[in-house]
Amino acid sequence: MSVRPGPSDAHPIEAHGLAKAYRGRPAVDGVDLMVRPGEIYGFLGPNGAGKTTTMRMLLGLVRPDAGTIRLFGRDPHRDELGARAGVAGIIEEPRLYSYLSGRRNLQLLWSYDRIGSGPEVIEEALDLVELTERAGDRVSEYSQGMRQRLGIASCLVRRPRLMLLDEPANGLDPAGIRFLRGLLRDLAERGMTVFLSSHLLAEVQELCERVAIIASGRIVYEGSLEELRARAGRRYRLSVSDPRRALSLCAAVPGITDVALVGEQVELAVSGDDALLAVTRALVEARLVMHALVPEQLTLERVFFELTEHSPAPAAVAA
Amino acid sequence: MIGRIYVAYRGELFKLLAQKRTWLGFAAATIGPIVYLALELAQGPPKGPLANNIGHTGVGFALVVVKLIAVFGPAVIAALVAGDIVASEHEAGTLKTVLTRSLSRNDLLLGKLLALFTYLAMALAAFFVVSTIAGVIAWGFHPLVNISGERISALHALALDVPAVIIYALPVIAIASFGFFLSVVTGQSVPAVGGTLIYAMSLQGVAVISAIKGAHPYLLTNQLTAWHDLFQTPTGGDLIVRAVWVSAAFALPPIIAALVIFNRRDIAV
Repeated sequence: MSVRPGPSDAHPIEAHGLAKAYRGRPAVDGVDLMVRPGEIYGFLGPNGAGKTTTMRMLLGLVRPDAGTIRLFGRDPHRDELGARAGVAGIIEEPRLYSYLSGRRNLQLLWSYDRIGSGPEVIEEALDLVELTERAGDRVSEYSQGMRQRLGIASCLVRRPRLMLLDEPANGLDPAGIRFLRGLLRDLAERGMTVFLSSHLLAEVQELCERVAIIASGRIVYEGSLEELRARAGRRYRLSVSDPRRALSLCAAVPGITDVALVGEQVELAVSGDDALLAVTRALVEARLVMHALVPEQLTLERVFFELTEHSPAPAAVAA
Repeated sequence: MIGRIYVAYRGELFKLLAQKRTWLGFAAATIGPIVYLALELAQGPPKGPLANNIGHTGVGFALVVVKLIAVFGPAVIAALVAGDIVASEHEAGTLKTVLTRSLSRNDLLLGKLLALFTYLAMALAAFFVVSTIAGVIAWGFHPLVNISGERISALHALALDVPAVIIYALPVIAIASFGFFLSVVTGQSVPAVGGTLIYAMSLQGVAVISAIKGAHPYLLTNQLTAWHDLFQTPTGGDLIVRAVWVSAAFALPPIIAALVIFNRRDIAV
């Protein structure tokens, strides 16, 4: 299945200062996003962090209170059809017509698009998501995994350049997840941009090079997974003759971003080599005996939790 | 935009025809009135315009039934589809699926509205055809005595039946428009369907309040009898003209309000 060629060299997604509140409670607060063509971009955050509200705003389903959105340079709230051209998405689980067969669903949705491709695109999409054999069955008889696959097929019949998927692995068994990963990689190789939201880091780190992490409606990290891994590696455990005194010394050193006493060891996060050098110098000058300074191999999972759990409590809004 | 509305309209018809309740509505529109009339006949000859033709000719039978089912019959059919057509998609979450395709909100809503009106027209047509065929089988194809007491040929009466049913459909469409509005506003089928029925019954209730007798000609339920103009000698036109503008006056505000609300609404389900 080919991806519709795009004349525009604008970013697939560009959002600045997005904000949305429900009954006065902020669900999304100042979100900036920049997604590059052809990448699988991860949008991570715990449940209720504002991922789905952000995606709804991107697709024009929910009007932002503030901020701007551009999909391939077009505003989905001012030029809804222009901005959605070449864009497909699934918000939360795919919602399809349960009284129609899978194939009938695709025929209906394809008829809404009128993008110039023939109905053969329906069979291609069914084939790609491996649903051809069950395409004649009613959707009410489908498993959740089959519905997810049909949802993706419903996006593919639009021949999109950008696909937004909200927690697509929800309800999938391990084989289904592996299939989904393979499919998304394949689509990205064909030039499609994929914006993938998830609350599971493991799901995203297999596929994405760049991610945004959202917590309590705010972006707490935006960048490459490599940088995030590097950040994970900049923590140390210090064994020293007087840990309490070392704690206060470390806390005073510029570039030490986090310091805590864990048992008889000092755990510290450093911003760079200069900060690490300053710590060792301070300890030596204070005549403390340093037994060990060991870099801690934090998992990405832990960084994710640290970033998201240190944010204020999320608004009590289903988002 | 017209092309996209047509696309939405075609899609809505596709969905309507795939649902059992659509066919149940058609069945009710055809079988219901006949059952109702059979019950009425068991209690004695029906009263009202053209009712004295029962037993003599089957032509005009549909219009006798129309009088008997009053506002309740069309209100039920209109409410079931109009109240459901947007709300059911809202409840099922399919609205967001459709609204991420190449249709604007106006395209989708106008497509749904046209599909709703088409459904009502088809249901009324089915009702008319089945009632007429049943009447002709029972009492033959003979001349009919009109409301003024004059005899008109069976063919002439049959030809008048068609515009009569179209005129009858105008206030029914206005009731459906209100149901459509409730469907958009509530996003829930049960209150939208129930609210439409209550609305129709309330209009019927208002029509019997003698204190506002001067306003009666301009009430929606009174337009259900505008077709009488066609079966009088000489044929009138005042009731028909009034039915057109009164029905439009009742139908347009809820349709416009539904469009405005739907365009501003966040689809967050």
